[in-house]
Amino acid sequence: MNTHMKQNLWGYAFIGPFVIGFLAFTIIPIISSLYFSFTSYDLFNPPRWIGLENFEKMFTSDPRYLHSLRITFIYVFVGVPLRLGFALLVAMLLNTASRAVGLYRTMYYLPSLIGGSVAVAIMWRNIFGDEGIVNLALLSMGIDPIRWFGDPTAALWMLIFLSVWQFGSSMLIFLAGLKSIPQSYYEAASVDGASFFQKFFNITIPMLSPVILFNAIMQTIAAFMTFVPAFIISKGTGGPLDGTLLYSLYLFKQGFEFFHMGYASAMAWVMLIIIAILTSLIFLSSKYWVHYESEGGK
Amino acid sequence: MKKLSLLLLGMVLILFLAACGGDETSSEETDESGNNETEGTESEDSGEEASGDEEVTLRIAWWGSQPRHDYTLEVIEMYEEQNPNVTIEPEYASWDDYWQKLAPQAAANELPDIIAMDLSYLSQYSQNNQLADLTPFLGEQIDVSNISDNAVSGGEVGDGIYGFNLGVNALGFHYNPEVLAEAGIDEIPEDWTWEDYQEMSKQAAEQDIYFDNALKADVFFNYYLRTQGKRLYAEDGSGLGYEDDQLFVDFFTMVQEQVEMGATPTPDFLAQLAGPEDDPVVKGEGVGIFQWSNQFVGLEDISGLDFKMAPTPGPNVSDGLFLKPSMFFSVSENSAAKEAAAEFISYFVNDIEANKLILGDRGVPVSSEVLSALKEEVSDSQAAVFEYIEWVEDNSSPMGAADPAGAGEIIELIDGLSEQISYGEITPEDAATNFRTQAESILGN
Repeated sequence: MNTHMKQNLWGYAFIGPFVIGFLAFTIIPIISSLYFSFTSYDLFNPPRWIGLENFEKMFTSDPRYLHSLRITFIYVFVGVPLRLGFALLVAMLLNTASRAVGLYRTMYYLPSLIGGSVAVAIMWRNIFGDEGIVNLALLSMGIDPIRWFGDPTAALWMLIFLSVWQFGSSMLIFLAGLKSIPQSYYEAASVDGASFFQKFFNITIPMLSPVILFNAIMQTIAAFMTFVPAFIISKGTGGPLDGTLLYSLYLFKQGFEFFHMGYASAMAWVMLIIIAILTSLIFLSSKYWVHYESEGGK
Repeated sequence: MKKLSLLLLGMVLILFLAACGGDETSSEETDESGNNETEGTESEDSGEEASGDEEVTLRIAWWGSQPRHDYTLEVIEMYEEQNPNVTIEPEYASWDDYWQKLAPQAAANELPDIIAMDLSYLSQYSQNNQLADLTPFLGEQIDVSNISDNAVSGGEVGDGIYGFNLGVNALGFHYNPEVLAEAGIDEIPEDWTWEDYQEMSKQAAEQDIYFDNALKADVFFNYYLRTQGKRLYAEDGSGLGYEDDQLFVDFFTMVQEQVEMGATPTPDFLAQLAGPEDDPVVKGEGVGIFQWSNQFVGLEDISGLDFKMAPTPGPNVSDGLFLKPSMFFSVSENSAAKEAAAEFISYFVNDIEANKLILGDRGVPVSSEVLSALKEEVSDSQAAVFEYIEWVEDNSSPMGAADPAGAGEIIELIDGLSEQISYGEITPEDAATNFRTQAESILGN
């Protein structure tokens, strides 16, 4: 055995666990779910091939599916920009040199670490409860309390707020991006008498655009797959009036409550296609607004 | 060189094992059930030797909360002490997790030997040949000498008994007499009707008191249909059990009017409640709750208030009411130790010492002997439940066929429509048509 092969063997030994896990728990399930998506499968009886019937049903005779798709789109297209905007705002605040910046960074990042957890979703229920802090604040401003869990629109907004609150990971990436913008640009602009907003739109945004692109894509994908908050906040129902029935939640209900595994698999594949289309649209649009320093400021 | 390859091989093996660590438990289980298989066939060969000296391992699964887990584990321990050849491996979870775990186990033919089963899933599992017919064990391994036929037949699907009834429940109205008096009503008569209900609701609403906290749509619409001689599901489960949509309209118009007059909280108010402890009835601000009798003790516990039990409104209460098996123990078809499993079930329903631990938590005991032995043991609230069930026994009709396979989906559908009606999003008339179309398509499949 020559040295080259020996090195390769070591390599295989080390990637072995990952490859085995990847095959057993990712590739094989993906392939079987593709197969199930063309079948009617209730877990008890062997899957029965029905061709495209599942996909047809989704778009022609399942109003609940279309509804769930609609509110998921609202959730993504309202939630992601809000979250990115908020992350950028906080990142810029933290970027102004302060002695305790490390502490603040950690503090603002915390919600993202615990945000997807069950505990936070339960806490959210209390915050927005009848006597929760949000309604008390509204009351003190003279606004009538809102039944956050009783009104379908308000309930969806509550989910959006929860996602905006978990801005930490995008914020950290923005912060790193902000730090890499040469200070000299701002100095030169100041000498020319540029205002804060002029600096923001003509220096910060273009210089940060690759980072914005990255964050936008990652957050869009993550937002589409949101499950835990909707599940906990609606106590697993997607209510009120299906107001929080996000795509993954409906998929879960179809699969594990109604045992329509074939239909649920088909839904998962449609979600994959939707995410792929959206991601490529964002990529395609990027040549109009993303500015790469290395390409000579194209 | 050789040494190195050996070392590598060893490493790969270790890593492989580590990677498969998550799968370890299930493969162990397969091994055990494999062992059972040989034992099972042997004991079958040698006739009634199931309680002999052979080592038997039984897996048992149930759902519930901590108190139920605690006492069930104690009962299992007692059983193991008396039957040293039996080892029981418990698997327990909450209601939601339980069913989500059971379905894949069924798909993999790895169901536990004894499975706690609910009425709404009984058809689904038995029709898919997951459960064993218990008929051959009745009077043999399972002692039914003190159990009425009516109770046993609660687990009937088609021609077989696929679940053994562990206890019964019945619907009722659990009300707080003090709040009722505040609303200006003296008492709820045993023979009250829906008109009385609406009248009393109006009176309560005028005093700004909630009369109830909403009727669970699938349960009470079915009850209402039964009082009219119909059922929610057709006997064979292939469709709905009523033809006249006016029945749907009548019932849900009443539900809607309750909300409008303020006798039942609005759905957005109910959705806002963080948990059962915030319920107006629990807080002593509402008259009562329509629910199953096994929830009565919990209601008194959580509220710290005294409640009374009234039957559901009539007319024709006795057609509407039925004794519902609160849960079953089923034996899985793939179990290799069915006799041993049946013996455990017999112990669970018939043994007085065991039932002194169970204390009616799984419904009012089906064995008359256990019931009379428990009467001195139980708390006042549990005694009230026993008393109510005795009354229902004389004022009820048979339950009829178990819920069909798509029942879970139907329940979600009708509860959703009822919610939309309460929100004023849809009229009862539209909901009635809607329900029929969708329900028939679910059940028709």
